Amino acid sequence: MRRYVTIYGIIMLCTFFMCLLFNPASELPVVTYFGRIMVFTLIALLSLAVYYSKEELTVKAWWVRTVLHLLLLEAVLLPLAHCWGFWQRGTDILIYAGFILLAEALWHLVEYSLNAKTAAQINERIRKNRLERKTGKE
Amino acid sequence: MKVTVEQIDRQREEELIVRCHDPGEAWVESVREAASGQRTVCGWREDTLRRLKLSEVFYFEVVDDRSFVYTQAEIYEAKEKLYEFERLCAGSALFRCSKSMVLNAEKIDYIRPSLSGRFEAVLSNGEKVVVSRKYVADLKRMLGV
Repeated sequence: MRRYVTIYGIIMLCTFFMCLLFNPASELPVVTYFGRIMVFTLIALLSLAVYYSKEELTVKAWWVRTVLHLLLLEAVLLPLAHCWGFWQRGTDILIYAGFILLAEALWHLVEYSLNAKTAAQINERIRKNRLERKTGKE
Repeated sequence: MKVTVEQIDRQREEELIVRCHDPGEAWVESVREAASGQRTVCGWREDTLRRLKLSEVFYFEVVDDRSFVYTQAEIYEAKEKLYEFERLCAGSALFRCSKSMVLNAEKIDYIRPSLSGRFEAVLSNGEKVVVSRKYVADLKRMLGV
């Protein structure tokens, strides 16, 4: 659920800036717009299946799958976005592809910062436990 | 074998006396471990079998269907499967940290996030091991975070 909300937010941001920069006069019915973002998010979530593995992924394998994931997202989202009128002309495709790349990077950054917060909480507890063990022994 | 259990007052100290023919027998050792609250795992190293206390174990790992127990500076081969070791460690400081590893939380020096969406635990002997995000919740619960 947290992932869904994160990805949803990132796609909303990207779409907002895409429209603001390249088509500020565009109008989309609210329900249609939110519905399409939901579909985009669902696709982005389903595409995470490329990370599935029975074995623990090595760092190299993780990078390979991350590139695959990005290619998969570009291959699915670009035609769909074109179909829904998010981009029209030839040059727009590069910009939209860049936004997808940016969204992927942003998502990893959000995940990393959440993990950093979790790690800080765990380290604090480890430090306290160590201190308690030390004072208990003395 | 005759087993006698006697209930005593809370003021008196609990005591276990084993009357046996051979104090070196495996069951006597098991009783001793159970009474002292110490669980052990057997590990082979250079044709020598050693009984390792769980508190000595840094982590347990399965590599190519072979199980290994890692201590401060030594590696022992064990016969337990990952799930058997996990069961043996239930209630202790050891927890499943990835698809192939059980890690001793008390040996973690600190933990840090990695770009690959997982965590890297730096152990007190300087070794680094991967902790999957899936299992971090277990570590948090264990530590009371």
